[in-house]
Amino acid sequence: MRTLRLLIPGLTLLLALSARNAHAQQGRISGTVTDHQASMPIPSAQVRVQGLNVTAITDEQGRFVLNNVPAGTATVVAQRLGYVMGQSQVTVAGGGAATVSFQLTRAPLALDQVVTIGYGTADRRNLTSAVEQVNGEELATRPVANLTQGLEGMLPNVNIRPMDGKPIQSPVINIRGMTSIGTGGSALVLVDGVEGDPASINPNDVESITVLKDASSAAVYGARGAFGVLLITTKRPKANQLLINYGMTYGLKQPTAVPDFVTDGYTYAKMFAQAFQDWQGFAAQNFNKTMVFNQAFLDSLKARSAAGMPSSVQVGADGNYVYYGNTDWMKLLYKDRVPSVDQNFSVARATDNAQFMVSGRYLGQDGLFRYNSDDFTQKNLRANGAIQMASWLNVRSSFDYSNRKYHNPLNVGEGGGVWRNLEDNTQPLSALYNPDGTLTASAAYSVGDLAYGKNGIDYDRDVYRSTTGAVGDFFGKRLQITSDFTFQKQTDNNQQRRVPVPYSTRPGTVAYLGAATNDLQNDDQNTNYIATNLYGEYNTTLANKHSVRAMAGVNYEEHTWDRLLAQRNGLIFPDASDLNLALGTASTITGGYERWNVLGSFTRLNYSYDDRYLLEFTGRYDGSSKFPQDQRFAFFPSVSGAWRVSQEPFWKVSPKLVNDLRLRASWGTMGNGNVGAYQFQQTFGISQSGMIVNGTKPNQTRAPAVLPNGLTWETAATTNVGLDFDMLDNRLTFSGDVYTRKTTNMYTAALTPPAVFGAAPPRGNYADLATKGWELSLGWQDGFQLARKPATYGIRVSLSDNHANILKYNNPNGLLSDYRVGQQIGETWGFVTEGLFKDSADVASHANQSYLSNGCCGYKAGDLKFKDLNGDGKIDPGQSTLANHGDLQIIGNTTPRYAFAVNLNGGWRGLSISSFFQGVGKQQWHPSTEADYFWGQYNRPYDLIPTWQLKPGVMWTPDNPNQDAFLPRLLGYSANGSNRSVGAVQTKYMMNIAYVRLKNLQVGYDLPTKFLSRLGSRQATVYVSAENLWTYSPLYKYVKDVDVESISAGSDLILTSGTSGDGLNYPMMKTFVTGLKLTF
Amino acid sequence: MMTRILPRVAAIGCLAILAASCDLEQTPVSATNAEAVFGTEAGLQLYTNSFTENLPSVDGVMAGDDMSDYLAVRSPSNFVRPGVYTPTSIGSWSWTALRNINFFLASNKGDGLAPEVRNHYNGIARFYRAMFYFNKVKQYGDVPWIDHALDVNDSALFAGRNKRDVVMSHVLEDLDSAVAYIRTETDASHTTITKDVALAYKSRVALFEGTFRKYHANGLATGLGGTANALLQQAADAAQKVMDRAHFTLYTGGGPDNSYRQLFNSETAPASETMLVYSEDVNQGVRHDGNWIYTSATTGVGASFLKQFINTYLKIDGTPFTDTPGYDTLAFMTEVKGRDKRLQQTIRMGDYKRLNAGVLVPAPPAFSQTLTGYMPIKWTVDDFSYDAGATNTNDVPIFRYAEVLLNLAEAKAELGTMTAADWTKTVGALRARAGITGGLTALPTQVDAYLKTTYFPDISNPVILEVRRERGIELQLEGLRFQDLVRWKHGELMAMPWRGFYVPSANQSLDLNQDGTPDVYFYVGTAPASQTAGVLYINVSGGTQQRSLQGGDHGDLEWLMNIQRAWDDKLYLNPISATDLAVNPKLGQNPGW
Repeated sequence: MRTLRLLIPGLTLLLALSARNAHAQQGRISGTVTDHQASMPIPSAQVRVQGLNVTAITDEQGRFVLNNVPAGTATVVAQRLGYVMGQSQVTVAGGGAATVSFQLTRAPLALDQVVTIGYGTADRRNLTSAVEQVNGEELATRPVANLTQGLEGMLPNVNIRPMDGKPIQSPVINIRGMTSIGTGGSALVLVDGVEGDPASINPNDVESITVLKDASSAAVYGARGAFGVLLITTKRPKANQLLINYGMTYGLKQPTAVPDFVTDGYTYAKMFAQAFQDWQGFAAQNFNKTMVFNQAFLDSLKARSAAGMPSSVQVGADGNYVYYGNTDWMKLLYKDRVPSVDQNFSVARATDNAQFMVSGRYLGQDGLFRYNSDDFTQKNLRANGAIQMASWLNVRSSFDYSNRKYHNPLNVGEGGGVWRNLEDNTQPLSALYNPDGTLTASAAYSVGDLAYGKNGIDYDRDVYRSTTGAVGDFFGKRLQITSDFTFQKQTDNNQQRRVPVPYSTRPGTVAYLGAATNDLQNDDQNTNYIATNLYGEYNTTLANKHSVRAMAGVNYEEHTWDRLLAQRNGLIFPDASDLNLALGTASTITGGYERWNVLGSFTRLNYSYDDRYLLEFTGRYDGSSKFPQDQRFAFFPSVSGAWRVSQEPFWKVSPKLVNDLRLRASWGTMGNGNVGAYQFQQTFGISQSGMIVNGTKPNQTRAPAVLPNGLTWETAATTNVGLDFDMLDNRLTFSGDVYTRKTTNMYTAALTPPAVFGAAPPRGNYADLATKGWELSLGWQDGFQLARKPATYGIRVSLSDNHANILKYNNPNGLLSDYRVGQQIGETWGFVTEGLFKDSADVASHANQSYLSNGCCGYKAGDLKFKDLNGDGKIDPGQSTLANHGDLQIIGNTTPRYAFAVNLNGGWRGLSISSFFQGVGKQQWHPSTEADYFWGQYNRPYDLIPTWQLKPGVMWTPDNPNQDAFLPRLLGYSANGSNRSVGAVQTKYMMNIAYVRLKNLQVGYDLPTKFLSRLGSRQATVYVSAENLWTYSPLYKYVKDVDVESISAGSDLILTSGTSGDGLNYPMMKTFVTGLKLTF
Repeated sequence: MMTRILPRVAAIGCLAILAASCDLEQTPVSATNAEAVFGTEAGLQLYTNSFTENLPSVDGVMAGDDMSDYLAVRSPSNFVRPGVYTPTSIGSWSWTALRNINFFLASNKGDGLAPEVRNHYNGIARFYRAMFYFNKVKQYGDVPWIDHALDVNDSALFAGRNKRDVVMSHVLEDLDSAVAYIRTETDASHTTITKDVALAYKSRVALFEGTFRKYHANGLATGLGGTANALLQQAADAAQKVMDRAHFTLYTGGGPDNSYRQLFNSETAPASETMLVYSEDVNQGVRHDGNWIYTSATTGVGASFLKQFINTYLKIDGTPFTDTPGYDTLAFMTEVKGRDKRLQQTIRMGDYKRLNAGVLVPAPPAFSQTLTGYMPIKWTVDDFSYDAGATNTNDVPIFRYAEVLLNLAEAKAELGTMTAADWTKTVGALRARAGITGGLTALPTQVDAYLKTTYFPDISNPVILEVRRERGIELQLEGLRFQDLVRWKHGELMAMPWRGFYVPSANQSLDLNQDGTPDVYFYVGTAPASQTAGVLYINVSGGTQQRSLQGGDHGDLEWLMNIQRAWDDKLYLNPISATDLAVNPKLGQNPGW
C-alpha cells in the first residue's frame, strides 16, 4: 500500500512534467560524416544531439540533417560501427541552421567504443577489468541453426565445444577454462540484463555480445556470474526515420563428413568371421542379434562375390530369409543435402520522445534423416519500445516470443541414437526391405525404424518474455535510477511416441521389435522466471580531474520449474498421437517441482583521476535459497585499477605511433551457488516399481541421499592483469590478459568410501582448483585507394589458453581413478605402446601382457606391444595409484589448448569479403571403447568397417607384417574395454585433434544506388555465406571421413548420456546460403 | 527538493517492488519427508516396496542356469575359462540395497503406529536383508556384517570381513524374526512376502549352508563341519513348517502330461504351488523374453541340455534309463520315449507342436538354435508370435512349493533321518505327478551307477543320490543349479564335455519327430550338392567347425570341443575386485585369487 501511495503522486507528477518543453524554439543542424583516412563518405552513420532524442542517419554521401534542435549550444555526436565516435559543439539559433562536419577515424578492432558492462556501459578505454565485445552484425549473416552454435571462436577464451550438429544442440558456454570439479559452472548468459537462452534469440536482433571475464567485471552479478558473464544486448531503434529491414536466405546443408564404411558384404562377413574367431577362439554363430552366421554362408558369399553376383535376398532351407546384400546404410540414413530457409524483418523508428521496433524471423530447416525426417523450425517475434514520459523519465518495455520445434526420431529396438544401433545391429549384408516390402530385422533396429516413421519425440518449446523498466534522471542527469522487471515463461512440451516396429525374418510372418514399448508420453515442463533490478548511478566530476561514479542496487530472481509427465501404453493404432487413444493400464504420471531464489545487493564505485588513474571497487552481498540458513548470505568484493600510460604528461610518443596505452589489474572473489536446490534437506523421492504387486506396479521410495557435511558457497578468486594499446592511428589494436582463477571450497565428495558405504558419498566444500590462462586479440584495420576507389581491409587474430590443476582433494591414497592434488585437468594416464609384436619369439621374450586381455589365445605376431616401464616383467597398472602406477604414465592431455581465431575482411566498391577461421592449437583424444567410427570391428566384430582401415599398410596382416602399422592384427572385441589390448589407453592411439576450420566465408555485394531507387530501397546487399567449409586436422592422416569436433565428442546428447561411443552423434553440418538484405 | 525526488524514485522503483516477497526459504514439494514415510503405514508400505530390488531378476530365474553343468551355450562363460576371469576384470560389489534396508530398520519407530504394524514391516525388511546377505555369502564367503546405515566416519567402513558363520547366523536370525513378525498368512496374488515365503526361503538358506559346511569341511568351511547338521535340521524344520501350514499343494490340475509345464507357461501360474511369482501382464507393460532367448538363433545363449543330464531322467516305471542296454547309442527319437513325463514338458521331442497363426505345426528341435538337440521349452509358450522381443506374458515363479519338498527331502537325506513317509510326500509325490509309476513310496536302496560315476562319485548313499537326481530334473532352469554344485562341492562338473544326442551316422537325414519329413542332415566334409527343402544341413566336421561327432562320422554331437573350460576350486568363491581391495586392503582376497 505504501508503494501505491508513493506511486500515484509520482505518476501524476510525471504527467504534469511531460508537457513542459513542448514548444521551445528550434533550429536545424546539417553536415557530412567522412572517413578520416580514406576521405570517403560514411553512409549509415548515426548522428545525434547528446541528451536529446534527436537523431539522423547519414545517406550514401555521408550527409545528414538534424531537425528540431532546440536553440542554444548542443553537443552533436556522430557514430558508426568501426569508427571512433566523433563529437562537436554546435550553436544553433532558434529557427536558424548550422553545419558541422565529422571526420571519423577508424576504431580499433572494429569495435564500438562503448562497451556494455554489468548494469551499465563504459568507454572501452576506461575499463579496468577484462571485458571484450563483438558486434552482432558478425552473427546475423552466419547460417547457424541457433546463436549458441555461432558463438564458437567469436571471443577469445569463450570456449564452446559444439558436441554435434543437431539443430537443437546448445553447447555449454565456458569462459576461461575449468570452473569447478564440484558443482561445475558455466558462463551466465544475460539477454538485456536478464538471464536468457541464446538459442532462443533471433541473431538479427543482436546488437552486441560482451564477455565479462574477470571477477571485477562480473562481480555485480554475484552468485551466478562466478565463472564469467556473457551479455547479449539487443538492438534498439536509433534514427528518426522509418527503417524497414528485410532479409532472407536460402541454403543447403550437408554433413561435413559422412563415415565411409565397407559396403561389400563378402569383405564385411569375412573380416567379421576372422575378428570373431581370433578373439573368441571359436567360430561365430551370428552377427549380434539379427543374422545367423556359419561357414557355409561365408562360402556362398565368397562364391557369389567371385562370380560377381548382385545383391539379393533369398529364402533358406529353414524358411528364413538369407541376405546377400551390399548395402550402404549411411546413404539410407542421410539425405544428400537439405534445404533451409530464413526470413527476417524489422521495422523501427525513433522519434524525440519514443522509440519502437518490431522484428521477426522464421527459420525452417529440413531434417537430415532420409526417413522420419528431423525437421526443425524456429520462430521469433519481438517488440520493444520506449517513451520519454517526462524529461526525467523514460519508460520502456519489450516483449519476446520464440518457438522452436524439432522432431527427433527414435529407435525403439535398443533406444538411444540411431548411430550406435546402426553399428551394433545392422550389417551391409542385410537390406532395408525384404522382397515382400517388410522390414528386415537388421533394419528394424536402426534405419528401418526411421523408415517405419512412427517413433520419435517432438520437442516444442515456447518462450515468452517481457521486460518493463524505467529510467529516471535526477540532478541534471548526475543521478540515474533504473529499474526493470522481467518475467519469462518457458514451456516445453515433449511428446514421445513409441510403437513396436514390424519386421520379418521369414516370408509370411511378422514379428515386432520393441514390443514392450507401445506408449505415448507427454512431458510438459514449465519454467517460470522472474527477475527484477533496481539500481542507481551517480556521476560527478570534481575540479575537472576527479571523476567519480557510484552505483548501487538490488537484484532479485526467482526460478520455478514444474513438470507433469504422463505416459500410457496400449496405443489403439500405431499413429495415435493423443493420450486418449492409449488404452493400456500401465500409466505413469510424474510430477516435479523446484524453486530457488536469490537476492543480492551490489555496488560499484569508480574513481578516475585525470583520465589517467582509474580505480574501481565492486561488491555484492548475495543470498541464495540453495544454502542452509546460516550459510545463506555471503559477501564477495573485488577491486580493479587501470593506468592510462598514454595520458601521462611524460608520454611524448606521437599519437601517430601510439594512440593509447593502458595497463589494467584486478582481483576479486565471486561466490558459486550452482548447487541443486534442496541439497541440504532430506528428501524421499517417489518412483514406480517395475514389478507387479497385487495387480499393479506400486510406487516406492527409498533411503534419501546422504546429507552433505555442511554446505556453503564455492569461491572463485580471480587475479587478472591486462594490457591494451591502440597504435598507428588506431589501425593496430591489441588487448591481452593474463589470469589465475582459484576455485576454493569446491563442493565435492568427502572421500570415495568403500562400496560397503552403500550410497554416493556425502559431499562438502572440500576441494580447491587453480585455472591459469591468458588471451589476446590483435587487430589491424586500414584502407587505401584501389583504382581510385577506397578499399578497406582488416584482420583480427585472437588466441587464448588455459589449464587447471587440483590444489586440494581428499584422495590420501592417490588413486588415479579420482582427482588428486597436483593433477592437471585433462591429463591422461596410459600405457606406452612400443609397436607390434614381430613373432611369437618376440612375445615370449617380452614382459607378460596378460593383464590386458587379448582374447582367447594370448598375444601373437601383429598384436600391440607395451613398454614395461617399471621393469617388473609384467604390464599392468600396479595399484593405479600415484605411488604405484605400474606401467602407466601420463601420456597426454585432453584439454583444448591454444584456441585461436582469425578474421579477415576486405571491402571495395560495395563488394565485401570476409572469412573466419577458428581452431585449437593443441589437444589430444583417446577414442573411447565404443568409438566405432575409429575402431570398427576392433570394438565389436559385427560393427561396420571404416574403409580407411583397409587402405594398404594401415592394418597389420600376415601380408603386411609391418611392426609400425597403425592398426594391429584384427581382433574383434579387443577395443571393447579399457582392460583390453586395443581399448587400453595408450600412446599409440592418443590422437592429435588440433584443428583449423574455415568456420565462415562470406562474399557480399551492395547493389548500386541507381538500382536501389527502382526498388524503393535505401540499401540492398546480396551475399553468399558458407559455414564449416574446410577443416584440417592431424587426425585426418588416417581418419579422413569424420568431423574432428564431433568424433571426439560423446554420443547423441539429446537421447543418451553421451557415453555410448565417441562420434556416434548427429553430424556437424556444412552450410551454403545465398542471402539478400534490403533496407527501406 | 526531496519531496519531488522521492515520489519519482518510487515511481521507478515500483516495478522492482512487485517481487518484494523475497523469502529465501524454499522447501521441496515434489518429494516426501521422513515424517510422512515413517509416520504412516502407507509410508512404510511405500518404502518397503523398494526392497524387491533384492529379488532375483526375471532373467535371474528364467535364464539363471545359463552358467551351469547341464547346459551347453554358444560361448562359454568367462568364469570357467582359465585366466579370463580375474579380480581386475570384474567390477565393484554393490551394497546400496543393504543401506536402504538398514536405514529403514533404524527409522521405523515412533508412537504413531502400533508395534505390530512396525514389526510387520521390520519383518519384511529383515527378510530382504537376509536375502541380501545370503547372496553376498554365496558369492564371497566371508563378508563384512553391517547392521546400520553407515556414517562416513564409521570405522566399520574400513573393517575387514566377518567369518561366514557369523554372517550366516545373523541371516538366520533375520529370517526367524521375519517369520515371527510378518503378519501375512496368505496372499492370493503370490506377489508379497508371506510367512510361508519366509519359511521356504529359510529352508533354502539353511540347506545351502548346511551342505556347504558338510562338503567343504576340509576347505572353505574348515572348522565348521560340526555345525552342518544343526543347519540341516533347521532346513528340514522350516520346510516341514510350510508343509504343516498346508497353504500349498503340488499342482496336478493338468495331469501327468501337462501339470509340470503349466507351472511355467501359464498366463497365471497355478495358485496351489506358486509361493512367490513375477506376475507378467500385457496391460501393465510387464513382459519377459522367454520365447526370444529360448528360440532365437541370435538372442540368448542358445541354452541346450547335455545328453549326460537328459540321461538322468528315469523311465516311466521309475527305473534308471541308463540301465537300458545300449542306452547311449539310441537315436533321439527312440531314447525320449517312455520316460519321466517331465522330459516331454522340458524339451522339444516326440510330436511337439507349435502354433503358427492359429495352426498347429510340427516343431522338432531346431538346429538353428539348439547345440545338442535337447532344446528347452520350459519357459516358452507355443505360439510363434511371442518369439521375438520381450513379449511373453506367462508368469515366472520365484518360489514354488516343489522346492520346499525337495529341501525337506535333501535335508533329511543328509541327516539320514528320511523315512518312507517323507519320501512319499516329497520325491515320491513329484515323481507321481510326472507320471512315474514305480518307486514312489519306498526309500531307494540301490546306488545308481550312472549318477555316481558321471556326477557324484563321493556319494554312496542311494537316498542322497536320488534326491539330487530329482532336484536336478524338477528345478532345472530355475536359477539354482550352479549354487547346488557349489554346496555339493562339484564345481568340476562345469567342465563336463558338451555332448548332444547320438547321431547313428553322418551324411544322412534324420526325422526327429517321426512325422515322415526329414528335419536335419549332419554332414562331414562338404554339404551334399542337392539339398532337400526344409532340411537343415549341419556341418559336424570338427576342426574349425564348432560341431563334431564323437566318433568322427557317428556318435554323440559335440559342441565347442576346442575351447578349454576348466574348474579351479578357487571358483567356489568370487574374488574381491581389485577396486574394492585398493580402497580397503583389510578385506583380504579369497583363497586362490
